[in-house]
Amino acid sequence: MTADKFKLSLLPIASTVFGIFILMLIVFFSASLPIIQKEGLAIYTTNVWKAVEEGEEFYGVLSAIYGSIYTSVAAILIALPLSIGFAVFVMDYAPKKLKELLIIATDMMAGLPTILYGIWGAFVLVPILRDYIMKPLYEHLSFIPFFSYPPITGYSYLSAGVLLAIMVTPFASAIIREAYRMIPKAYREGAYALGLTRYEATKTLLGYIKPAIMAGILLAFGRAIGETVAVSLVVGNTFNIHPSLFAPGYTISSLIANQFGNAFIYEYMPSTLFASGLALFLIGLVVNITGLLVLRRWRYAR
Amino acid sequence: MLVRKIKEKLFLAAISIATFLTILPLFHILFSVFANGLPVLMRGGIDFVTETLAPPDSELGGIGPAIVGSFVLTFLASLIGLPIAVLTGVYAAEYPNSPIGKAVKTLLLIMMEFPTILVGLFVMNILVLPMGRYSAISGAFALAIVMMPYVAVYTEQALKEIPFVYREGAFALGLKRAVVVFKIMMSMARKGMITGILIGIAKVAGETAPLLFTAGGSARIYFAGLDQPIGAIPLLIYTLVQQPYENYHQIAWGASLVLMLIFLAIFLPLRLSIKEVKL
Repeated sequence: MTADKFKLSLLPIASTVFGIFILMLIVFFSASLPIIQKEGLAIYTTNVWKAVEEGEEFYGVLSAIYGSIYTSVAAILIALPLSIGFAVFVMDYAPKKLKELLIIATDMMAGLPTILYGIWGAFVLVPILRDYIMKPLYEHLSFIPFFSYPPITGYSYLSAGVLLAIMVTPFASAIIREAYRMIPKAYREGAYALGLTRYEATKTLLGYIKPAIMAGILLAFGRAIGETVAVSLVVGNTFNIHPSLFAPGYTISSLIANQFGNAFIYEYMPSTLFASGLALFLIGLVVNITGLLVLRRWRYAR
Repeated sequence: MLVRKIKEKLFLAAISIATFLTILPLFHILFSVFANGLPVLMRGGIDFVTETLAPPDSELGGIGPAIVGSFVLTFLASLIGLPIAVLTGVYAAEYPNSPIGKAVKTLLLIMMEFPTILVGLFVMNILVLPMGRYSAISGAFALAIVMMPYVAVYTEQALKEIPFVYREGAFALGLKRAVVVFKIMMSMARKGMITGILIGIAKVAGETAPLLFTAGGSARIYFAGLDQPIGAIPLLIYTLVQQPYENYHQIAWGASLVLMLIFLAIFLPLRLSIKEVKL
């Protein structure tokens, strides 16, 4: 075979993906530069939103970074037990027909347009959470900081966290299910041969796929933090840093979605939004790469 | 022993509840969209899918421009994204051990998880700002970037699943590499590749975030040209939900039902014909 002409001719096309990715990094860095030169790190460490056409503008997007992490962590805490429980039930307990149906249902959830989660979240989920979860908790337990904010509208970190959890659970459980399926049969047989109950056997086997569960959490966190429209319809969109789950707030992506439309009236706002996008870019990159690495190492180690 | 038995029962109860809670929202969403959207579709009739948007606080009108826009955008995005994605997938499958092949594979997996709002922001910066306005082509370009990694990864996997002996046989006949890949491998991997392409299409047809600052949205004009703003169903829903008008909320539910039916029409046949889908 001659020196691989085929490879050479495909190379430019395969490199397009790299080109786009690198160009994206360049665009985000260069577009963030004006505001970083003006304010330094204060853009990430303060919570100010002074958008004025005349006079000194000042922006600090800490509340959005806080909200992104808060809502995504809340989502993961809810999604983790659900996705493990779902994976175990589907693999070990569900009869074949039911198993098929359950997997189809979660595949459908993973693919459902996110705006449908958004409209359902805003019109259906938020009122339910407000009336049946937030109000009772606030009335009786408002001395606990998590429940200390009066739930008037219901648009809050909690609503965003719950909606995100619903959205990422199928995704996380698919990763865990895949890993759980790969456990050699002998391990399970061994566990039963020792006289372990199913619960005890499952506990042991889950310990074996801990890295895959970790990877599932990380990748689900990456999805949650990047989600935009569904979150922006339920999180309340307020510049706020509050410990309470019931308080409204912002996330980075909802801040961008909300403010970008009129950003160009102001001199520094576009740059500010690119800078917050850059933060999301980097957080997402680190989380996702770590998740993929953990998953890959676990697969090779077997 | 009794304690162990009780633990066993509690465990079964716990995972059954987890399973129920995991899929309950899906049925609640499907039900809500049908219950709220169907009356709107019935009342609007055929006009709902052909007419333009009504003014606030009045009748329903229709979501025609958004439907047209969604089809135009998805078609254009496929036109831009599919060839690049398929060839990238071929590269990753053919040269899995070359440095670039490995890097492409990793980058595709990373891009699959990339926040789509950032893609929109990026395209806004490189296309919308220079052009001076939102446009169909910018929206399609953003969607193409979102679509590419899905299609490429599926293509790669489909090609890799073909047993190596077929490839050896083809080479033994003295065929060139391009012929082996495009004629023989691809026709064998057809099913997997079509799955990937359809998943990519289903994905971008429902995307909102990349369109926010690229397509611009249009509720009254169907199609004005590739360099002009254009609507899309998800974008319209997002805008209408945030309006305070009751009739706009109803239109949003109606539009959601239309979007859901489009999604189900692509997803269900696809999912029932294959074993596993990764989204």
